[in-house]
Amino acid sequence: MIEVEAFSKLYGDLRAVQSLSFSVQSGEVVGLVGPNGAGKTTTLRSIAGIVRPTEGTIRVAGHDLAREPVAAKRELAFIPDEPQLFEYLTVEEHLRFIGRLYGVADAPQRIPALLEELELTDKRTVLPGELSRGMRQKLAIACGLLHEPRALLLDEPLTGLDPVGIRNMRTTISRRAETGCAVLLSSHLLHLVEEVCSRVLVLVRGQTAAFGTLQEIVTGRPELAGRPLEDVFLQLIGRSGVEQ
Amino acid sequence: MTGALVYLTWHTVLNRLRRQATRLRSPRYALALLLGLGWVTAVLWQRWEPGAPHPSGPWVEVVAALSILLLIGWSWLSSPDARALTFSPAEVTLLFPAPISRLTLLHYKLLQTQLVILVNVVIWTALASRQQPGLPVGLRALGFWVLITTLALHRLAAAMVRGSVSEHGRFGLRHRVLSVALVLIAFGALAWGVWDVWPGLMAAAQDDHVGLREAFDKAVHHPAIAAVLWPLRALVRPLGAANPSDWLGAMLPAVGLLLLHYLWVLRSDAAFEEAATEASLARARRQEAYGPGALALGTNRAPSPPVFPLAPTGWPGVAILWKGLTAVLRRRRALNVGLALLIMGAIVASASSEPWSTVAEVTGALTLTWLGFLIVLGPQWVRNDLRGDLSRVDLLRSYPLRGSTIVAMEASASAAALTLLELALAALAFLAFLNMDLPEVTTLDRGALLGSAVVLLPPLNLMAMLLQNGAAVLYPGWVGAGAPASGVEALGQQLLSVTALWVVLALILAAPVALAAITFLGLEAAVGAWAAAPAYGVGLGVLAVEAWLLVRWLGAVFERGEG
Repeated sequence: MIEVEAFSKLYGDLRAVQSLSFSVQSGEVVGLVGPNGAGKTTTLRSIAGIVRPTEGTIRVAGHDLAREPVAAKRELAFIPDEPQLFEYLTVEEHLRFIGRLYGVADAPQRIPALLEELELTDKRTVLPGELSRGMRQKLAIACGLLHEPRALLLDEPLTGLDPVGIRNMRTTISRRAETGCAVLLSSHLLHLVEEVCSRVLVLVRGQTAAFGTLQEIVTGRPELAGRPLEDVFLQLIGRSGVEQ
Repeated sequence: MTGALVYLTWHTVLNRLRRQATRLRSPRYALALLLGLGWVTAVLWQRWEPGAPHPSGPWVEVVAALSILLLIGWSWLSSPDARALTFSPAEVTLLFPAPISRLTLLHYKLLQTQLVILVNVVIWTALASRQQPGLPVGLRALGFWVLITTLALHRLAAAMVRGSVSEHGRFGLRHRVLSVALVLIAFGALAWGVWDVWPGLMAAAQDDHVGLREAFDKAVHHPAIAAVLWPLRALVRPLGAANPSDWLGAMLPAVGLLLLHYLWVLRSDAAFEEAATEASLARARRQEAYGPGALALGTNRAPSPPVFPLAPTGWPGVAILWKGLTAVLRRRRALNVGLALLIMGAIVASASSEPWSTVAEVTGALTLTWLGFLIVLGPQWVRNDLRGDLSRVDLLRSYPLRGSTIVAMEASASAAALTLLELALAALAFLAFLNMDLPEVTTLDRGALLGSAVVLLPPLNLMAMLLQNGAAVLYPGWVGAGAPASGVEALGQQLLSVTALWVVLALILAAPVALAAITFLGLEAAVGAWAAAPAYGVGLGVLAVEAWLLVRWLGAVFERGEG
C-alpha cells in the first residue's frame, strides 16, 4: 500500500534522509523509530506529499505521489504530532470540511459515530481554541479517519491524550489495520510500537539501521534475543553511532 | 516588587529594540525601516503652508469632543476589547502566583499601556505643533498625555465593566451598577438631545450652510448634549489653549477627569485577576495552537453559522472557499464592519429621500472615502486566505487538491469578502447621492459607474489577492502569519508591500486595459457607447488568461514548498 524506494531528502547541504526503501502492506502496522533528528518526520511528511523527495519514488495505493499527487493523497491521511486545526471552524465543521475535500458522500452519517468514538460529541459546536490539547489531538485524529484512508501516517499520535484516549487510540490503530489499512506509526513510545506494530523501521541519521519484525532484527544479535524493543533500539543507536 | 516590574518592562523594551536592530542586517528590513522613517518624517515634520488657516477656536474643540464621543461610544457598543486585560502566558505563569498585590499588577498593566501612549503623544504633539503653533511643545505634550491616558483608562474600565457583565450576568451587573447606570444616563441624555434638535438640523440642512452652522451651534448647546460633551470638551480644551496661563486653567478640570478615571479603574479591578487570567489563558491556548493571528478571533460566544451549508460531495475546491468565507464572518472585525454598514445604511435610508440632504451627502462622502481606502489597501487588510493559514500550510499541502486549486480558492475567498464590502459601500454611496442634482455627474452616469464597479471590482480584487497570496507562497517569512506586526519597520514593510503590489498589478493590467481601449476605440464609431461591452469582454478575457497562468505557476510553487 505504501512503497518507498531509494528516497532521499536534502535541505540545502543537510541530508535528512538517505536512500530509504521500505513498504507497508495492507493491514500492517509499521513502527518508525529513531532518535531526534533521525528523519522520521521528514519521511512521514514526504509520504504525505507535504515536502517533495529530492530523489526516489513514493507510491500510495499504486499511485506515484510525484505524478498523481491528488489520487495518492485521496487514499491517505496524515495526523501530525501537533494538531493543526482551523481556529474559525467548529469541531463538526472541521469534519464536514474534510468530508467535502475527500468526497465522503455519507459524511453526515459517519460524523456522529466518529465524534462518539473520540468522545467529542458534546464539543461538536465548539471552536478549537476552546478545546484542551488532548481534545484538539482527538479532533485531528477524527479528521484523519473520516474518509477511511487506505494508508494512515501517524506522527506521535498519543501526545496529549489522557489514559482513556491512549487506550482508545491503540484500539483504533489495530482496528484500522484489521480493516486493511496500512499504518505507518512514528513514536518515541517504544512499548506502544512493540505492542501494535508488526514490523519496525529504525532510522538513524536518515538511514535504515534496521527493518523487520523484532525477531528478524535481533537475528544475528543473540545477546538481544528476548529483550524488549527499548533495549534493541538503544543497542542499534549505539552501534550505528559507532559505525558512522 | 514594583522595582522588579519596572525592570521587566524596561528590559522587555530594550531587548525588543536590540532584536529589531539585529534584523536590520538584512537589507529588506533595513529598507523597510528607512521607508517607514521617511514616511513618518514626511507626515510629521512637513512645514505648514504660511497662508493656510490654522484650525482653532470652539469649533475645533466641539468637533474633537464629538470625535472622542464617537470613539467612546464605539468602545461601549462594539465587542469588549480583551487585549486591555490580557497578559502574556509568561506573565500569567510567573507574575500571578508571585507575591504581588492585585493593585501592583494593575499598575504594571497601566505602565505597559504608557509605552504605547507615549509614542502616540509624540506623534500627536508633532502634528498639532505644526498646525497650531504658539503653546510650548512640552505643555501641549502634557495636554495630549492627559487626554490619551484618560481615554485609555476609560477603554480599560469599559472593557472591565462589559467583560464582567457578559461573564457574570446579573451578578456582574450588580457589582457594576453605578458604572452601567452612568453610561446609560449619558446615552439616554444624548439620545434625548439628538431627538430634540434633529428636526431643526434637518430644516437648516435644506437652507444654506450658515443656517446649518447656527442650528449645529444651537444643537451642541442643548442642555443634554452640552452636559454629555462637557467632560470631553474639558479634556481637549488644554490643546487649544493660546498661552500657558489659559493652558493651566484648562488643565485643572482635565487632570481632575484623569484622576476620576484612574479611581474608576482601581475600583473596577474587583474581577480583574479572574477576567485577566481567563483572557490571557484563552489567548495563550489560541497562540499555542495557531500563532499570533489567532488574537483576532473572539471565542467567548457561540460561532455564527457558516456562510453557506457545505454539501458532502461536489468539487472539493469549494470547501477551501467555504472555509475562507466562514473565517471572515467569524472574525471580530466582521462584526464591527457590519455594525458600521448598518448605521450608514440606516442614515442613508432615512435621509436620502430628502431632495437635498446634508446628512446623506456627508454619509455618501464618508462611504466613498472608505471605498477608496478599500480599493487601495483592502488587499492588505482582508487576509482570510493563505496569509492567515501560513501556520497550517503543511495541512493544506496534505489535502488531495492541486496547489493551483488551493491558491485560487484561498485568494477567491478574500476577493469575495472584499468585493462584497466594496459593492455594499458603492451601493450605499449611490443611494446617498440619489436625489442630489449634480450636472457634472448625472444619475445615469452614477448608475453606469456602479455597474462598472460590479463588473470590474471582482476581477481586480481577485488579481490583487492572487498577488498577495503569491507573496505568501514565495516569501512566507516576509508576509508573516496572522495579524500584521507593528512599529516603524512594520509600517515600512507595509509601504513596500503596497507599492510592490500596485506596481505588479499595474504591469499585469497594462495588456488587458490596452486591448480593451483598442477594442472600444475601434467599435465606438459604429456602435457608440455600446462599444464598452465588447471592450470589457476583451479586457476581462485577457485578465482571466493572466490570472490562470499566475494561478498555475503559484500552485506549482506551493506544491513544491519552495517558499
